[in-house]
Amino acid sequence: MSRRTSWSRGSRSLFTLYLPVAPFVFFALFPLYFMLVTSLKKNAELYNVNAAPFLIRQGVTLGHYELLSKDTMFWSWFVNSVLVSVAATVISVVIGILAAYPLARLRFPGADSFGVAIFITYLVPPSLLFLPLSTVVNRLGLSDTLWALIVTYPTFLVPFCTWLLMGYFRTVPKEIEECAMLDGCNRFQTLLRILLPVAVPGVICAALFAFTLSWNEFLYSLVFVSPAELKTMTVGVFSELIRGDIYYWGGLMAGACIGSLPIVIAYVFFLDYYVSGLTAGAVK
Amino acid sequence: MVNRRHFLRVTAGGAAGVLVAGGAPAIAQTRELTFLTIASFVPETDKELKRQFEDWGAKNKVKVRLDIIAHLQLVTKKASEVQARSGHDLTALGPGLGDADLYFDHLVDLNDVAADIAPKNGGWLNQNDYLIRGKWKLLPWWMPPFPMAVRTDLLEQIGEKNPDTWEDWLRVGKKGKAIGHPFGTAMGHSGDANVTLLSIMWSYGASYVAKDGKTIAINSPQTRQAMEFVKRLYTEAMDPEVVAWDDASNNRCLNAGKCIAIHNPISAYESAKRDKVLVPGTQKEIADVIDHVNTPRGPVDRRTTTGYWCVGIWNFAKNVDLAKDFLRYHFQPDNQARWVEAGHGFNMPFLTNLTKHPVYKSDKQYRYIPEVAKVSVPPSWPGPTTAASQQVLDLFIIPDMFAQHATGKMTVDQAIAWAEKEIQEIYAGRKRKF
Repeated sequence: MSRRTSWSRGSRSLFTLYLPVAPFVFFALFPLYFMLVTSLKKNAELYNVNAAPFLIRQGVTLGHYELLSKDTMFWSWFVNSVLVSVAATVISVVIGILAAYPLARLRFPGADSFGVAIFITYLVPPSLLFLPLSTVVNRLGLSDTLWALIVTYPTFLVPFCTWLLMGYFRTVPKEIEECAMLDGCNRFQTLLRILLPVAVPGVICAALFAFTLSWNEFLYSLVFVSPAELKTMTVGVFSELIRGDIYYWGGLMAGACIGSLPIVIAYVFFLDYYVSGLTAGAVK
Repeated sequence: MVNRRHFLRVTAGGAAGVLVAGGAPAIAQTRELTFLTIASFVPETDKELKRQFEDWGAKNKVKVRLDIIAHLQLVTKKASEVQARSGHDLTALGPGLGDADLYFDHLVDLNDVAADIAPKNGGWLNQNDYLIRGKWKLLPWWMPPFPMAVRTDLLEQIGEKNPDTWEDWLRVGKKGKAIGHPFGTAMGHSGDANVTLLSIMWSYGASYVAKDGKTIAINSPQTRQAMEFVKRLYTEAMDPEVVAWDDASNNRCLNAGKCIAIHNPISAYESAKRDKVLVPGTQKEIADVIDHVNTPRGPVDRRTTTGYWCVGIWNFAKNVDLAKDFLRYHFQPDNQARWVEAGHGFNMPFLTNLTKHPVYKSDKQYRYIPEVAKVSVPPSWPGPTTAASQQVLDLFIIPDMFAQHATGKMTVDQAIAWAEKEIQEIYAGRKRKF
């Protein structure tokens, strides 16, 4: 009887959970799988139009990873990407918190329209902004330094973080802050000691998004930084492994595989926070 | 004691000062020359250029920096440097000579440098082609000539020998397609499509603009003939996928052992040789069964074009004289010779003596490159290069015209009328602007 119950439970979750989810998992993981397979194939097999594109039939090679490590400055680019993304994320989240708190909590004339204006700022595409920003970066004397990216990335990260955190802060009951104030906390202490610990999922969610956007950024990195040793991974791999009409597909995919690892790791560690941070505003 | 107001005043004042001054204060001035170029199709070329740049820097006690980016990124990089009026001293320009017109007010005149270089190298190939509004605003640097790359084993299999005309290649393509090895030329939005389809137009006596650079000449019986030929080539000798091809697709098609022939520089052969790619189902290297022959002749002419890669100096460069000095050094015959050798002949300079470089006799694959270079003209031919002619290329008007007819979406008259209107608007718009 109990065996039958357990089987029926198993089959129920198979039909109601795993099978319906399977197409979505396949859809999400397929690009990663294809990247990995391509990065491990020999060039001869990559060129062969008769070969099965999704399987490795002629042996695995690590040659493309070797090419990345030995013939390019891939690991310098990787470190640059980490430095820029972490710095830009920290700056943007801090500014985002400081901007979101008054917009969510304080009553002052124009608070609502200011919030909308911040959201609209986020919608201005970098492809419009890079030309005027290049003048600003040059005048600040930051061209060809990683600071150029650390300073410019917050132009699209801060509006996003502010907007996301505004929504999250509004879900936290005001009353707990008021209690803290009755106990003697000032505004800043309330934010630091009461609101932020409660809003950790929202902050992590904003940080994850900011890190991902910085990590994948291409245009500003291309325009503001030229020296090979200062390039970020997105631009470096593209510059070195696309030579006219020759694409080093194996190397490109090896770079993409390694490049996706930090994002995957970050999301795996913080998945629960991320989901609760995203959905918090939905059921106020 | 630093209070909040004091901190804000100092930091805001400092930032404003930097912005007003137009840059960070110079602590120590050193002579530095920077050069932005594109990743060469043959990596050894970049190494040789770097060696020469560093060698020149050491001799002249100048700190040098060579920055290399993918050619697809150059457009964005140029635009941002001109906007900021800051960046590299020397810059690669192109593909095409159109940058000279587009950035005419931002480039230094190089008349003196061009005049110094020419006599030492037997003169420029077609000097008048490179003068934009009567001035040397850039130096034509190198081009990758477009021969025809062909699989000799397949040619033998279908009983063909030495194809020379476009009609020959149509016949070869038909026979090749019948045995699963079609002809391959891009007809989508790619540089290769522009090159090959313009080559066919000229070979049939057509052109899109007249010599005066004003009269739009695309509506002609010759264009109709060229379009009917391309329709036959597309339907009888090629696969439909060519309308979606990019610049890498024909290389892949040849090296995958599928295409019998492609119209392309020697890059496909070079990469097949480097990667030791095999003919599918055999242990034979595909590079061993590739040959390169002259760009095809048409009923009227044998003419082609290619990417004209150039070099120039921004007029906001910090070291214009040093930049000119390096150009003179790089264009010395010995340095040019070493640089061409490093590129396996892929990067042909626009200098007469360099077309006779020994590298073109070092491998039979390179033997036709000088011949192709002789019949290569700028894409605006017979008209002069202008920003408008560059726009015709950048908007892929010619490939779209051919593709719309070849795929049956438009009749030949409709496709020509569409292209004529587009080109007229481009040329009219530019005339008003300048």
